[in-house]
Amino acid sequence: MSTVVDLNGESPAAEGRTVGPPPAADVLLEVRGLKTYFHVMDGTVAAVDGVDFQLKRGETLGLVGESGCGKSVTSLTIMRLVDIPPGEIVAGEVWFDGREILSLPMAEMRKIRGADMSMIFQEPMTSLNPVFTVGNQIAEAVKAHRPVSNREAWNRGVEMLAAVGIPAPERRAKQYPHELSGGMRQRVMIAMALSCDPKLVIADEPTTALDVTIQAQILELIKAMQERTGAALLLITHDLAVVAETVQRMAVMYAGKIVETGTAEDVLLDPKHPYTQGLITSIPSNVPRGQRLNVIRGTVPNPFRMPAGCRFEPRCPLVFEPCRDFDPPLRTTDLDRRAACWLHYPPSERPTVSDVAVPSAPVRTERVGKR
Amino acid sequence: MTQYIIRRLLQAIPVVFLISVICFFLMLLAPGGPQAQFNQNRFVTQEQVTVWLQHWCLVRNPGPLDILREYGGWLGVWNCQGGSLLSAHGMPNFLPAFLGGGDNGMLHGDWGISIYLNQPVLTVILGRLPVTLLLMTTAWIIWLTLALILGVIAAVRRYSLFDQSVTLFSYTFYSLPTFWLGLMLIEVFAVSLHWFPSQLIESPRISPGPFASAIWWQAFWTNPGLYGWDVAMHLVLPVTTLVAVSVAGDSRFVRSAMLESLNQDYVRTARAKGLGEGRVIFRHAFRNALLPLITNGALEVAFLFSGAIVTETIFSLQGMGYLFYQGLLAHDYFLLMGIVLIGSILVVFFNLVADVAYAVADPRIRYN
Repeated sequence: MSTVVDLNGESPAAEGRTVGPPPAADVLLEVRGLKTYFHVMDGTVAAVDGVDFQLKRGETLGLVGESGCGKSVTSLTIMRLVDIPPGEIVAGEVWFDGREILSLPMAEMRKIRGADMSMIFQEPMTSLNPVFTVGNQIAEAVKAHRPVSNREAWNRGVEMLAAVGIPAPERRAKQYPHELSGGMRQRVMIAMALSCDPKLVIADEPTTALDVTIQAQILELIKAMQERTGAALLLITHDLAVVAETVQRMAVMYAGKIVETGTAEDVLLDPKHPYTQGLITSIPSNVPRGQRLNVIRGTVPNPFRMPAGCRFEPRCPLVFEPCRDFDPPLRTTDLDRRAACWLHYPPSERPTVSDVAVPSAPVRTERVGKR
Repeated sequence: MTQYIIRRLLQAIPVVFLISVICFFLMLLAPGGPQAQFNQNRFVTQEQVTVWLQHWCLVRNPGPLDILREYGGWLGVWNCQGGSLLSAHGMPNFLPAFLGGGDNGMLHGDWGISIYLNQPVLTVILGRLPVTLLLMTTAWIIWLTLALILGVIAAVRRYSLFDQSVTLFSYTFYSLPTFWLGLMLIEVFAVSLHWFPSQLIESPRISPGPFASAIWWQAFWTNPGLYGWDVAMHLVLPVTTLVAVSVAGDSRFVRSAMLESLNQDYVRTARAKGLGEGRVIFRHAFRNALLPLITNGALEVAFLFSGAIVTETIFSLQGMGYLFYQGLLAHDYFLLMGIVLIGSILVVFFNLVADVAYAVADPRIRYN
């Protein structure tokens, strides 16, 4: 189903590319078997290696994982902001609002970016252009997508600044990014992202670069704005507390793959995958005072030499026979819960050594929501 | 801002003063002197040379104290004729003339006399400036335009065939010695092909006088086409030489400045807003890449006035660079000091211009 996608330059995707059927109408974003590789000097890094997830209209989804697990690359791939080369979208489909957007010509993609799908970046310090006023930068986003005059676009910018809780928005709009604090700048980024009433907002670690005192405010703001506009939210973070407070559903990523999905409550209270379990037991507040904190032993696998079987196998405390040679696909374990772990397969469905062990065996991936 | 500019201009005074001291002492400490031109002349006696030197307030083989006196004379603190710090009126020599001070030296607006040409230094320099300005400005506009175009495209299409070709071309021309390139151009396009003239800025056959002299302008206004074309044809080879060696370095500079700003987060934000690639590159990336280019450009403007020594010498263009070269050969101290002084004042001034332009281009920079 997923043949190699050539996204080089501005050209539309390779002809003859076959895509599957569109998802149901209430699904805003569906990512199927997405693989984004980076060809660097030392070889190829599979930053995203077969990611599937789904986001319904107006829903909030948290994409959680440690640094370097591919969550940011996933979001950049959805926005098609990955630099090609060195990046390459090797396989997969991204369905957004009824269209497969990886096949769209760049000119079409530009109409979606900033209008229907927008992004809040991690670093408000460097993500705003230092030589233009913030009002100007928001107005620019509005003008790019709507047939409005400069004045109307500017007014929309001021209106958005007021909406994200910036006092004296008329005056602030005329200021440059360096005249604003980090929290203010992130509010500006949020105003910019929401200025065209997008259907999907991707927030890539929106609070990581901010003061702890500001983080909660910004999260509240993102949540409030999301509820007010009815946009779907894809929140990317490594902070489980942020996820617990902000999103309805979550997906846990490890080494380029999604290892577990479900509602935030279910996953946090009853993690199925050993990696998620490790993450949650290593939260300091879960451990009584004076007791040693749980850690996941080992380190993230070398991106050039991924384990042949399950990627978590070298670090997994519950490792058993099939893990070394076979990579477990996501499997529905419970209502709306899926985990990629052989533990959750009935023994009859687990591969054994007698099966042919192919390194990173092609995975038959179930479709989310097709249950 | 006005206050800042005034402060910077005041700071420039000691800088220019120090430059003049260092240049003067280095020049006079070097062996030889303007008297060398008489060395092979058996009709000139040693005594005559000494008297001649005294006329210029110079001595043979000056010691540090002599140099200090000579510098004082050039500056206007020392009364050369009287041989003291006091003027002929008995007042300190550095005072303005109407207060009874002397009338020699820079402090009294006297740039001195060129020993070699026996003309006032300022007259000589102003006479040579038009050729240099015409040559350098033409070349500068062309090389800057080319460097911007090549540099930006090379940065946007990084590692493409175009980028690699620009790199190859840059390093090739950057490594070529100017004199060799100039001579080769003369050999091919002037000597062999007869396409362009090889020497001077105007054709003596048709020109009534030197370029930019009153008589030349008179002729120019009667027939602008003829004289304009004449000068333009003379400019082709020297301008080509200058452009070829200068565009290389500048295009690399533009490329790296562009690459740096293209990698910034705000460029990704601009793309994420759905802006077209042209707008992303020129409005967001180029605007920021401009900042380092301003410094570079402003300093280049300062050097436009000092001319290109090698190019002007090879093409016998009577400009500032050639003048400096001739002055060096003749140990023409006061002429050289005049050129150095103008050069250093321009460099200091255009540094200030660059800083002011910075504040205009980058809202983060404010001087208070």
